[in-house]
Amino acid sequence: MHEVVVVGAGLAGVRAGGSLRARGFSGALTVVSDERELPYDRPPLTKQLITGAVAEADIRLAGAEDFGARWVRGAAAVGLDRERRRVRLADGSELSYDGLVLATGARARAWPGEVPAAGVLTVRGLDDVRGLRAAVDGGAREVVVVGAGFVGVELASSLTELGLGVRVTLVEPFARPLRALGGAVSGLVAGAARRAGVELRLGVGVRGFRSVGERVGGVELADGQVLPAELVVVAIGMAPATGWLVGAGLALPSGRVHCDERLFARTAGVAGVTDPRIVVAGDVAWCDAVRAADGPVPLEHWSNAAAQGELAAGNLLAGPAAAEPYVHVPSFWTSAFGLRIRSVGLPGTGDRVVVEEGDPDSGKLVEAHYREGRLVGAVSVNLGRRLAAYAGRLQEERAGEPVPGGSVA
Amino acid sequence: MRITVDHDLCDGLGQCALVAPEVFSLDDDERLVVAPDPAPELAGRVAAAARACPVRAIAVEGA
Ligand SMILES: Cc1cc2nc3c(=O)[nH]c(=O)nc-3n(C[C@H](O)[C@H](O)[C@H](O)COP(=O)(O)OP(=O)(O)OC[C@H]3O[C@@H](n4cnc5c(N)ncnc54)[C@H](O)[C@@H]3O)c2cc1C
Ligand code: SF4
Repeated sequence: MHEVVVVGAGLAGVRAGGSLRARGFSGALTVVSDERELPYDRPPLTKQLITGAVAEADIRLAGAEDFGARWVRGAAAVGLDRERRRVRLADGSELSYDGLVLATGARARAWPGEVPAAGVLTVRGLDDVRGLRAAVDGGAREVVVVGAGFVGVELASSLTELGLGVRVTLVEPFARPLRALGGAVSGLVAGAARRAGVELRLGVGVRGFRSVGERVGGVELADGQVLPAELVVVAIGMAPATGWLVGAGLALPSGRVHCDERLFARTAGVAGVTDPRIVVAGDVAWCDAVRAADGPVPLEHWSNAAAQGELAAGNLLAGPAAAEPYVHVPSFWTSAFGLRIRSVGLPGTGDRVVVEEGDPDSGKLVEAHYREGRLVGAVSVNLGRRLAAYAGRLQEERAGEPVPGGSVA
Repeated sequence: MRITVDHDLCDGLGQCALVAPEVFSLDDDERLVVAPDPAPELAGRVAAAARACPVRAIAVEGA
């Protein structure tokens, strides 16, 4: 293998680049990123960066400057020709490859309807956080956060913590914040948010926005109420960044790139065929090795992007025959309102939740999630000590499972 | 193998403990505890644990 192209310079892409060199790849390595920034880490964006607890320089991704790559920054990949093994960039130029790493991650999902020209933001990158801070520093005090997933909850917490007198209203169409984690966690988060002064509007969706001139002036809820707003943050999830791959002949279920257990991209059409020159890693991947009872599930976790980036690079160099399967117990953390929440496995996929240590009233607990009597995940709040044991149990269960077959063409 | 943890950076996320539980664990207050003399054959796992730390608090020498 002489020429490897990595598209996307987030955590997965940077780990892939580092791992290629660590495994002895000495050929030409090109990393393409549509961001102008040096690669950085996302988890601190909505936690420590927005509050100023860490600076931009502190969140740079380690190793990115070390692996001797040609960097193409501020240039989006817009097309892939697998026959000719070329990646086309927005300026019309092309990069040829023997090996390709797809690590384009995801974008913040945009509000599906019309939004005022100014004052409505999403948060996925460094630029977004700069914009949000500028709006708050510029005087915005009434902030409505739409969506109580982890990004929305973290932002509500950080904005409240700023001490600038920002009033935050968190709107969520479902009845519970962080509902993906299930169990008692939602209730703990809701209680802590209220005590911190956040106004919660649960179980009511957003119908649209009101403008004052060009800017947002209010948020209209499904029940007709209008919340005043000088700034709105839409935090309604993410959309995989695969628009540029449409038509390339890869399998793109729910917009993600489908890959086999060894992270090789599956092709569209003939079932079970993969492209031996293309590996996939991180938020953009829909990997056969990450499965719930009903089949593969996407992960949007830091640890997954890091581990897949490393393995994808190794497998690309090794080739399909010698490649290793991805073995990984999912793990995720978030923190908001003084609650440190971690999970292992896939807690949202259970049918029964048991508090196995601590209790909701004390604000500390460990909950195990079971499906048909089998452990599928665990969540802790301010009590992470035992999670490693649950991860071990999940690992053992996986080891006992047959690995579903998948042929490589 | 010498493991050093920057406790100013470490905020007890415990990702390291998931990768190498023989060496890294959390105490009741979610503070990190590192086993004193890890067996040399754990070097690979310790290195992986260091890479799994989101805030890069773990440094390993002689692994
Ligand atoms: C605000 C925030 C907070 C988070 N907090 C946590 C947390 O606490 N815990 C946790 O476990 N996870 C957290 N995550 C998730 C974690 O950050 C992601 O799982 C991880 O960043 C995924 O890395 P990635 O490299 O796959 O994708 P990304 O980080 O999305 O990187 C992909 C890169 O590719 C670029 N790109 C996209 N399309 C193209 C193209 N066509 N051409 C060129 N470049 C392109 C993108 O601009 C981006 O730079 C958080 C995510 C966000 C957004
Ligand atoms: S992963 Fe890093 S931050 Fe977390 S406990 Fe380990 S050393 Fe500390």
